Amino acid sequence: MATQVFKLPKSLKGDVKYSFCPGCDHGVAVRLVAEVIDELGIRENTILAASIGCSVTTYDFINVDSLEAPHGRALAEATGIKRARPDKIVFTYQGDGDFASIGLAESMHAALRGEKLTAICINNTTYGMTGGQLGPTTLLGQVTTTSPTGRNVEYYGYPIKIAEHIALCDGTAFSARVSLDTIANIRKAKQAIKKAFEVQMSRLGFGFVEILSTCPTNWKMSPQKAHERVRNEMMPIFKPGIYKDKTSQN
Amino acid sequence: MTTQCLTNKKVLTKGNYAIAQAAILAGCQCYFGYPITPQSEIGEFMSGKMQELKRAYVSAESELAAINMTIGAVSTGVKAMTSSSSCAVSLMQEGLSYATADQLPVVLVSVMRGGPGLGNIYPSQGDYFQATKGGGNGDYNLIVLAPSTVQECVDLTYKAFYLAQKYRNPTVLLADGLLGQMMEPVEFYDYPYPEIDTSSWALTGAKNREARIIRSYAPLADDQCVFLKKLFEKYRIIEENEVEWEEINTCDADIVLVSFGSTSRNVKTAMKMLREKGIKAGFFRPITLYPFPSKRLKELSKNVKKFVTVEVNMGQMVNDVRLAVNGACPVELVNKGVGAPPSAAEIVSRIEELI
Amino acid sequence: MTEKNFIIAGFGGQGVLLAGEVLANAFMLAEKHVTWYPSYGAEMRGGTVNCEVVMSDDDVSEVNKADADFIVALNQASFDKFVSKIKTGGWIIVNSTLAKESKPRNDINYLFAPITKLAENVGNVKMTNILALGLLAKASNLVSLSSLEQALDNVIPPHRKNLLPLNIKALKIGYEYDLLATQV
Repeated sequence: MATQVFKLPKSLKGDVKYSFCPGCDHGVAVRLVAEVIDELGIRENTILAASIGCSVTTYDFINVDSLEAPHGRALAEATGIKRARPDKIVFTYQGDGDFASIGLAESMHAALRGEKLTAICINNTTYGMTGGQLGPTTLLGQVTTTSPTGRNVEYYGYPIKIAEHIALCDGTAFSARVSLDTIANIRKAKQAIKKAFEVQMSRLGFGFVEILSTCPTNWKMSPQKAHERVRNEMMPIFKPGIYKDKTSQN
Repeated sequence: MTTQCLTNKKVLTKGNYAIAQAAILAGCQCYFGYPITPQSEIGEFMSGKMQELKRAYVSAESELAAINMTIGAVSTGVKAMTSSSSCAVSLMQEGLSYATADQLPVVLVSVMRGGPGLGNIYPSQGDYFQATKGGGNGDYNLIVLAPSTVQECVDLTYKAFYLAQKYRNPTVLLADGLLGQMMEPVEFYDYPYPEIDTSSWALTGAKNREARIIRSYAPLADDQCVFLKKLFEKYRIIEENEVEWEEINTCDADIVLVSFGSTSRNVKTAMKMLREKGIKAGFFRPITLYPFPSKRLKELSKNVKKFVTVEVNMGQMVNDVRLAVNGACPVELVNKGVGAPPSAAEIVSRIEELI
Repeated sequence: MTEKNFIIAGFGGQGVLLAGEVLANAFMLAEKHVTWYPSYGAEMRGGTVNCEVVMSDDDVSEVNKADADFIVALNQASFDKFVSKIKTGGWIIVNSTLAKESKPRNDINYLFAPITKLAENVGNVKMTNILALGLLAKASNLVSLSSLEQALDNVIPPHRKNLLPLNIKALKIGYEYDLLATQV
């Protein structure tokens, strides 16, 4: 008798075609969020404020009520949802461009207000959906379609360290950076995502996880090489870790 | 002044406070806003009253955030609003376009000031186009209501919440600095409209039903064509049912003065003065700027020799009157760029020059 | 139809907007149609502040009128700015503590009174605005003392109600000021 040990979380839709590129970490990240929602037993009480970019189609896969926000405004819409329905669990799932470039004001202020929200931000050092342009997290030296000779400080300035910035906001209850490059790190990532939801549920404050992620298509790498890049190039700059955890301060 | 309590008796109050108080009586559960003159009293009033009533209030970090917070709140089926003015309403155009595509009952109070750019804080009607033609992308209409007195600020705030929910379309209460800042006696009363059931579409958690998605993204061209057809069928119904206007002395009028909002008071007076001089003048005031009372203007154009719109802008509504009349008779403009409306005497003398 | 309009002007802090609000409330209580319209925004920072109150038996015909039937000028700048706007036969009530007793026109009525000084005598210089309303009520004969007293009660917020008796006292001193002695 075979025992089923791996199955589709209830919080994912089984009957849809996933539109992420092969090898992209978005698929893993969305699945982790869905597993956490399942484990916390909150699916029927959860609302997603979706974003723009590769993450836009998340609402096609995730099996919770969803509202599409304009580019960068997910945390404003999430704030509106949560203030209108404080009993709901509300989260955003955004890319780094959405969260930390066009939406930086909304993101920082949601954290500063200590909104009881959870924000998941995928950092893949590029604007994926539009074809791999330079974004707020593009590393120094990185070649993109709008930094053809690599990111240099003179023209482009520096990449933003999102998890550290969000940790600085007094309203933030939890801020962490995780990666999905190994099984062990995927497990850690899930724990962080769970915590980011738990701080919302216990009304401690804003919960945030930055997920270092691959973009094999725009990086023009195999998934395996892409994970090596996460390890060798991204993790030394964007160091994984927990930058704030109010649950452990008490 | 900011602490004036909810009451049914006649009170002297500013247009801005009247709007805020009416919104509360209409059952507005959430207010999101960023200060800008000449409408800051709305947010000031709301900050105290909403907390007192245990409703939601957020000092948004920007108008971008404020309109999107409002979208978030109304997506859950509650009544919510934001308020702003001119150059800051510009920042909300993206959100309004999304809210229209998402079919969400956002209520925006737009208290016009001078423009373009930073302009100034004086009254203006320079955002007629902004409200009725939209600055957001794509094909859409906002329902636009234009109060002309402080009492109408109350009446039309109620109506804005009702129409927004009835048609699931963003609705704008288009006031101006004059109305926002002036005081008049008003009477508040209970919300006079039926409550709209939002349970068939609101995001409340996918319990015992399929998960809902409120979205505007339609990757396939055909899907978008179907959606737009549906959206514009809704607008046809709105145009059929919700047009509202005021008209006086139009039955025998040779010349009809057309104005909206706070300018109308002076224009009505000018019409009376023209009558006293033996000129057969009439007065016509669109109350809904969208849907615009085009049909009625077209009817009137059969017997009217001339329409004159009076506006505090460089000539905006005049275009809609011309479209409605469609060449049946001349449509002229008497205007002033910005500030309190031209005096009745000035309107009279400028109209005498036209005839 | 009777329609009269009033401008109350002074410098920021003299309470001219509040005085206008009290006046407008008094007209409302007397079942009149009324509008109140302030100068606002940048004008509030320093310069002269003013508000217009229009009272009518019917719908108010216009807001922000070109002229006025009654003007209260609480300082020199307000006198200079508004004296030309008074209708022929109209009135200007001038705070002679802060403005010169000059008469640039001979087709209007002047009422000079040391309003700030009178307010100091009442015990609070902040009563200048309300004392001026008393003078205006007497000179115009368009609003009753009792309506103004009721209006004060409407306008003064609950946590300031202890100031109501002082306001009423200021109102009465203004009202009882001997107009004949000053009028020309």
